[in-house]
Amino acid sequence: MRLIDEQRNGILVLRIDEKRVDASKAPAFKDEVAKRIEAGHSQVVLDMSGVEFVDSSGLGALVSCLKRIGPRGNLAIAGASGAVIRLFSLTRMDRVFSLHDTVDAAVEQMSS
Amino acid sequence: MSVGIKLLIDSDLDKVALLARAVRALCSDVLDEDSSHAVEISLVEAINNVIKHGYEGKPGRNVGVVVSLRPDHVEIEVIDQAEPMEASLLSNASGDRFEFDITDLDALPEGGMGLALIQMNMDEVEYHAGQGENRLRMVKRHAQRTPSS
Repeated sequence: MRLIDEQRNGILVLRIDEKRVDASKAPAFKDEVAKRIEAGHSQVVLDMSGVEFVDSSGLGALVSCLKRIGPRGNLAIAGASGAVIRLFSLTRMDRVFSLHDTVDAAVEQMSS
Repeated sequence: MSVGIKLLIDSDLDKVALLARAVRALCSDVLDEDSSHAVEISLVEAINNVIKHGYEGKPGRNVGVVVSLRPDHVEIEVIDQAEPMEASLLSNASGDRFEFDITDLDALPEGGMGLALIQMNMDEVEYHAGQGENRLRMVKRHAQRTPSS
């Protein structure tokens, strides 16, 4: 599972460098994000602009990350489009996650 | 006229993406973007279920997929030789799975969404188990377009 870390104003921006977040990758993805949350990151933007497909296992991993970060932290998603957004809408997760068109927009809202 | 093809993968989650991409490409001539995604997500969820639950995550078993492009629908059959699924799991699955309280973080589902997604995305879903083989048949209807050769 390839994740690229970047810090912006104390916010961790994680770019998912994979085209698919599916059942074969979801466990590793969940573990990698959990490690960063355990290390103290409570403001996280997931850059999904390069992701073309997410299945229910990938979605479950995202929900797990949201639960782990808890109500005192923030987990936003940036750049989701196409099939990824369609899955969020179908499952009503578009009302659960904070979705943004770009990383800049997500960081700006989280910083305000 | 219809066009059909059978594809086979090993029961390994790493192989599912390859098959899903192939099927999506096959369907792209007759389905629009939304319907193509509907077929892809349904196929992926069906195969994941077979590998994770039917074959209990063990590689070395077969998962077959038959894709038929008909004049007004796409038909997908997922074929396995695992222990059959309890049929009521599929018939009871629906979009109700996603009627959760969005303000209750703990209540958000992390699993058990696959069959509901199949039911929501496909126009017909049937499951047949018998004689050591299980077949999940899924149909996506579309406006008539001629597949390019």
